[in-house]
Formats: sequence, structure tokens, C-alpha cells
Amino acid sequence: MNFTDFELIYKKNRSTIKDKNAIKSELIKIIGEENVSTNEVDLLAYTRDSSMIAINWTIEGKIAGLPDFITWPETTEQISEILKLANKEKVPIIPFAEGSGVVGGAIPINGGIILDMKKFNKIIAINDKNLTVSAESGINGMNLERYLNAKGYTSGHIPQSLYTSSLGGWIAHRAAGQFSTKYGKIEDIILGMEVVLPQGDIIEFKTVARASTGPQLDKLFIGGEGTIGIVTKATLKIWPFPKKRTLISYAFSKIEDSFEAVREILRENVYPAVIRIYDQPETARHFEKVEKAKEKVMVVFVCEGNEKLVDIEELITREKCEKYLGINCGQNPVEHWFETRFKVTETSSMPTYKIVFDTIEIASLWDKAANIYHHVTETVDKIKGVLLITAHVSHFYPNGVGIYFTFGGVPSRDISELQFYQKCWNTTIKAVIDAGGSIAHHHGIGINRSSWMSEEWGDSLKILQEIKKFLDPNNILNPGKVFVNTWKGGEL
Amino acid sequence: MGVFETLAKYKWMLPLINKADRETKSLLMKNFRSKKKNFYPEGSYKADIDNLIKCMLCPNMCRFDCGTLQASKTESMSPSYKARVGYYLSVGKIDPTKAENKEFIDLMYKCTNEENCKVWCPFDFSVVSLLETVRDDLNDKGLMPNYCRDQIEKLKSTKTIEAYNIYKTYKEKGIQNIETDGNDDVFYYIGCETMKFPDVVKANIELLKKAGIKFSTNLDKRVCCGAPVLNIRDMDLAKELANENFNLIEKTGAKIIVSDCPGCVLTLKERYQNVGIDINVQVIHIVEYFNQLIETGKLKPQNNISEEFKKVAIHDPCLIARNLNDTHSIRNILKVIPGLELIEPIYNKEFVHCCGWSGTAHWADKDLSIKEATIRVNELKETGANIFISACPLCELGLGYGLDEQEKEKIKILDLSELLVKVI
Repeated sequence: MNFTDFELIYKKNRSTIKDKNAIKSELIKIIGEENVSTNEVDLLAYTRDSSMIAINWTIEGKIAGLPDFITWPETTEQISEILKLANKEKVPIIPFAEGSGVVGGAIPINGGIILDMKKFNKIIAINDKNLTVSAESGINGMNLERYLNAKGYTSGHIPQSLYTSSLGGWIAHRAAGQFSTKYGKIEDIILGMEVVLPQGDIIEFKTVARASTGPQLDKLFIGGEGTIGIVTKATLKIWPFPKKRTLISYAFSKIEDSFEAVREILRENVYPAVIRIYDQPETARHFEKVEKAKEKVMVVFVCEGNEKLVDIEELITREKCEKYLGINCGQNPVEHWFETRFKVTETSSMPTYKIVFDTIEIASLWDKAANIYHHVTETVDKIKGVLLITAHVSHFYPNGVGIYFTFGGVPSRDISELQFYQKCWNTTIKAVIDAGGSIAHHHGIGINRSSWMSEEWGDSLKILQEIKKFLDPNNILNPGKVFVNTWKGGEL
Repeated sequence: MGVFETLAKYKWMLPLINKADRETKSLLMKNFRSKKKNFYPEGSYKADIDNLIKCMLCPNMCRFDCGTLQASKTESMSPSYKARVGYYLSVGKIDPTKAENKEFIDLMYKCTNEENCKVWCPFDFSVVSLLETVRDDLNDKGLMPNYCRDQIEKLKSTKTIEAYNIYKTYKEKGIQNIETDGNDDVFYYIGCETMKFPDVVKANIELLKKAGIKFSTNLDKRVCCGAPVLNIRDMDLAKELANENFNLIEKTGAKIIVSDCPGCVLTLKERYQNVGIDINVQVIHIVEYFNQLIETGKLKPQNNISEEFKKVAIHDPCLIARNLNDTHSIRNILKVIPGLELIEPIYNKEFVHCCGWSGTAHWADKDLSIKEATIRVNELKETGANIFISACPLCELGLGYGLDEQEKEKIKILDLSELLVKVI
């Protein structure tokens, strides 16, 4: 096949590999023949992640990036040896587990060696006294959670991608789950890690509840997106599976009222596990049958945990919602959310109509949140071809929120779908920065946001870039992501 | 999803589309109209393109429970990717006629038909049912893989799954054959695969006799139900076998067909409709039947189970749990066996993990099936039980590959009937 029938999107910066056979032989020496593949049926499977533009390309027979080798290491030491080989041969390494990232982070844009972490899938131990679980980083999220549930626990980290993402992916992209308001983001959940550095050194960060041992170096690797190290094992907080769950929903006239109600709930030190505010179009989309929510802003809450505490949380949640004239919609809308929360169908339908569709999540402090919502929706709506720009808010803190925008549209005849996609992305991100927000809440940087890192970080980006250079002088670990402007203002 | 359901689902978008400018609306309409022209193959085809597309564009929401993916740990085994390759083969993006693309064709057969995907799919797809439509086109182009042709040849020559007629081995295996007198209550329909486990067949016959059932086995006239050819999609041969079975069933006059093989039950009950045959007699799995016999007092478990068979873990056959939707019969029976300690593995009932031995995967890639079997056996071992109970010959075959010789001395994989017969 030789992939000649497929248009390769990222092809300009492919690394030159002089002797593929020699590298393959070296890889086989490290991990064995059964763990190395250059078969086309395998190579094609690793040409994309789950970013929407890459999904659009799939139906059009285009491939985002093309790897040269697929490897399945089984031990940390093997990863270390592969990294040493990659440094010697100057071949890129792209860590990959479940491929569910949505910002291009796992696309092999320069070619190279895919380091598939799926064989790192063991649950090492549950420690009931410490309330921790240790696991290898390639484990699928649902398989980890199902195991914990069977043993009477939860990690509390339940992203919509739970079925299709990995522990390593969560750490790489600083993920957040649907229940994050109570249990925190992944950086709040991880207590210890084993990491292989780009040149092959293996380091371990001790598992601690909290410590005062100098700068928190471990945090550097949470959100590293496979560019400065490969996390191989991690220890997470776990919780006894909640004894009680109370489902609450209210509809508000304005998004500002819903923001105020939720802000005041958190101000009381009350943390419903799930809070989701849907703007009016998204309320129409998800709660069409809820009469009381017609043309309103729906908010759903899940309070869970100890029965007595849940009852108090419910009481305060209701008080605050009613203070801002929320209309009680009962528990049915929340049950509906539970039933549909993993039913992702849009990715399967929109590309067939050549609709370019995606979600962009951003972070904001409370005092900017409403303004960011309005500024982004108004600005993106003006882009030619945009059909929809909507939002829900699904991650809350006493100090701020994570807002999740959805855009969709049809590129006009004069621009490509990628240009349209980039325009929507860049317009959203610029509007967020202009209105005082932060460019990402839990999907990470990858390719899609990399051109905005200097605006986000300012001068401190240089420090991050120096760290990258220090740890990875040959730039072999996931090149073209996070630190490099791969899109270059609208082009590849 | 039908047109009306699609419209209902996207009704919320209509006001948003309505306010778009004329050019955008016109482009959108053009895209809706051109969907087939843009993305569907030309000419005639059997592939279910609509649903292959949906599956391949999905972010793989069932991947965590796909047996072949979990066994192989390679992305190329993920369900969405299989659909993607199926689509590319169908539209000619990957040319199936080129020898170099054989590995892509093979992928269409690397599925164990366990249908865990269906449990989690937002569209309610069974991925294998999509892959089967790709196989149809491959067959029409004469591209059936050799490992499938081998099965077809065996089934054509012996009408069973072996190179010899496995039903004719009953005498040497000490299995009693009971020919019909045309007036049976029950036709005990023995699976070809169950013939590899004579103790299971003997136990079933003994139990039916103890319950006083008038039944026949008709082993001199038996042929395979046709499940393997339905998987491979040789529909002509499937119809031929279905007709033979239909005629034999008619001759028995049986009011009910009871099979020890879930694959046979599903084939007789549902899959024959694909070749235009309707079996008008009730078809049930023997576990369900034994449960009825226990509930009506015709079978009475009364002896205490001996110590060596006491600690039991259930392995639900996928087909019984997910297709026949019966997870209670096997448990009801085990619960009334005196002295038995029943232990559930983490993945059980409709969430059971496959033994690796169903579908076409064990022909296309036996090592893959053994890996899947090993994963399942390890899950069962975690229960601490030394008896693994199932009710499917393929499960018993597959799980056997997951145990090494030393383990086989300590752990026994048994059919439910083998345990039940000890206490009646």
C-alpha cells in the first residue's frame, strides 16, 4: 500500500531516518520481535488522535501523521533503553496509549517511534489505610475505575473520555473529570509517580500526602504531554464509593444568575461532585423535554458521599439556587445526564456533512467568567461559516471555573477545513486571552494551542523552553507539541 | 438512527442554522445532499457504509471492553480502527485485491463475536455485524481468506466443524444415541463442539433421563447448525445446513429444542432468519431448561457436592449473557446445589469477558485468541476458586488454552451439567 493513496497532512518536518532496518533491529534487541512493528496495518492505526480535525480527515482518506515504528515496551527499563537509542539515532518518540487526546498531542507529526503504553496496564496495589491505588500508566480509565468500584472505591476522576483514555494520558494533559468539583483535577489526585526522562534516566517521585521538600518538581511532569518525560507508574488518591447520591437540577433565566448561585454554594465550602451549567442553546440540545427549562439555563448537581453531609450539601445547594430564582426541575434531568454522559455521537455524524466541529475548554476566575462566555460566543459567532458556538461550564472552584465551548460550522468556499478549524480555535483563544482567561482547562496544549503559549505564559515560557532543552537536548520526545508553534498562524 | 431520529436529535441546531448567512446554508445543504457522493463507494456493495462510518469516526468508546484489543494491546485491534479499515477496503482506499494488503483483510476476521462493544456503543452497534458486511463484499470478490476456506471445505465435506463427521464418533466416545420416533418432547441438539466433550454430552443425557423427559439426539442424522459459515458469510452453505436442520427438527416432532451450545441456540433461534428459514419450535439453552426442570421439581439436586468441587467461579458464556439475555439460570442452578460456594469474578453476567474462542478470530489469529483466553482465566483465578463453570463448549475449549499443565491439575474447567449430574 505504501500510504500513497492517503494524503499526509503533517509532512514538512518529518525526521530523516537513514537506516530503518538497523533501528528496527536495535528496537527488537531491546523489546523483542513481538513488540516492534513496521506493518502498514499497525502504522495506519497510529496516524491520528481524537482531535476533531483528524477525525474529519479520517473520512476523507487523509492521515494526520505517519509513524515509522510501533513499539510496545513492557518494562520501565525497556523504555529507558528505547529513549537512549532514539537519542543516539535522533529519532522522535511519541508516547501513545489510548489516542483519545483532542489537541493533536499524540499525532506523530515528524514520524518516528510510537511508544505504545498499553502493556503498562497493571493495577499494582490498593492501600486502604492510605486510600491510594498504584497503577501503571497505560491502564485504561474505565478498567481502573471498574476495578476500584468492584473493591468498593472510586478514583473520583470520571472524564467523558473515561472509556477511551488512560491514566498516563490524564497525567500528560492535566485532565479533569466530570466529578472534579469534589475530587479535584488529576494534579490534585496524583500523589507519586515514576518517570523516564528523555535521555533514559528513570526517576521516582515519592508518594506523599503533602510535603515540604523544596520545589514541587513532580508537578512539572503533570501536564508535560509526553514532551519532557514518560510517566510509567503513578499513585492516585481513591475514595470509598459514595454511600449516597442526591440529584438536583434548577433552571435559571440568565447564565449570570446560575454563575452567582454556584459561586455562592462553593463559597460556603460546599462541593457538589458534579455541577454543570448549560447555556440556553445547550439546554435546548440536552434537555429538550424539560418544559421548565425551555429557553433557560439548566444547571445539574450531583451531591455524593456521606449521607449526612450530602443532605447538608443538598440543603445549601437548593437555598442558593432558589435565592437566584432557579426553578426546581427535579432529578430527571440529572438522570438523563447520567444516562447520556458517555454517548458521544457527534464525532460520528458531523464529518459526513463536512461540518467542522470541536470543543475548546478554557479556565477563568469568577470575576471574568461571564464576560469571557459572552465575549467568546459573540466573537466566534461572527466567523463566516460558523453555525453554532455554545457552552457549558462543568468544573468549579471557589475561585473560578472551567468553561467548555462547542463550535461548529461549514468552511466557506475560499478556505480549507483546516483553515476554518484554525480560525475558530484561534479566535476563541484570542477572545479568552483578551477577556482575561487562561487558554486551557483540561485538554492540554498539543498542537492546537501551541501557538498561544507565549501569550499565555509571557516571559516565563522561556524557563519552560530551557527546561525542555535541558531535559531533552536532542528534542526527541514528542517534538512539534506544546513548545513549538506548529500551526504558525494558520498554516501547517 | 433513522432520518426522523436524526432530525429529532439535531432539532436544537435548527434555530442556529436558520440565522446563518445564505452561502453557509447553501453549502450545508450541498454537503447534506452530497454525503453519498462524497463518501460512499460506487457500484453495488453489501458493506454497511453508513454504520461503518459512524463506528470509525467514534472515539472508540467501547475499546476498554474489546477482547481482542485488550489481548493484543495494539491500536490496530481497536473496534473503530477495524471499522475504518473496513470502510477503506469498501471504498477502495485500501485495495483488497492487492496481495500486500492481506493483513488489512485479516483484520476483518480478528473478532471473537463477543459483542462487548454493543453494551457500550452509543449507536448500539455490534462491530462484528458491521465487519460481516465487509466480509460479504470480500467473498463476492473471491477474497475469502484461506483459513476461512478451510472451514468451508470441512463443512461442505463432513457437514461438521471437523475433517471427519464428529457426530459419528458417538460410539467410540460412549455416547448413547437416541433416534427419534417422531413424537419427542425434546430434541437434545448437541453442538459439534460439544462432541469434543463427551462427558458433558453424557451428563446432559443422564440428567434428561433422570427428569423423565422423552427426547432424541439423532446423531446419525445430525449436521452442524451453520454458525461458522454464518460468521464467514457463505450464505449458500448456511442455507443448505439450515434446511437440513429444519427438516430433521420437523421429523422429531419435538415441542422444544434444547441445545448445550449457545451458538447453536442463537443460530437456530435468530440467525436462520438471515437465510430465510424460520424454526417454528421453541429453542432454548439446556441451562435454561435444567433450571425449569429444577423449578418444577423434575430435577432435584440433593446430594452434597464433594469437597473438590465445592469452590466454584462462574464464567458466563457471552452468547448466553449478552445475546440470550439469561444470566440467572446458571446461577439459580448453582445456588441450589447443596454445599456449593459460588464466587463471582469482577467481570460477570452481561459484562463478562470472552474466552477468546468464538467468532473467526481463533482461525485468523490463534495466538490472539489464546491471549484473550489467558486474560479471562487470570480473572477467574483471582476468585480463588478451583472449579470454573461454564455452559458453552467453545468457552470450555478456549479457557483450557489459558491454563498451563500444572494449573490444569489444580483447576478444573467444567460444564454446568458435569457438576449438576453429581448431585442429582
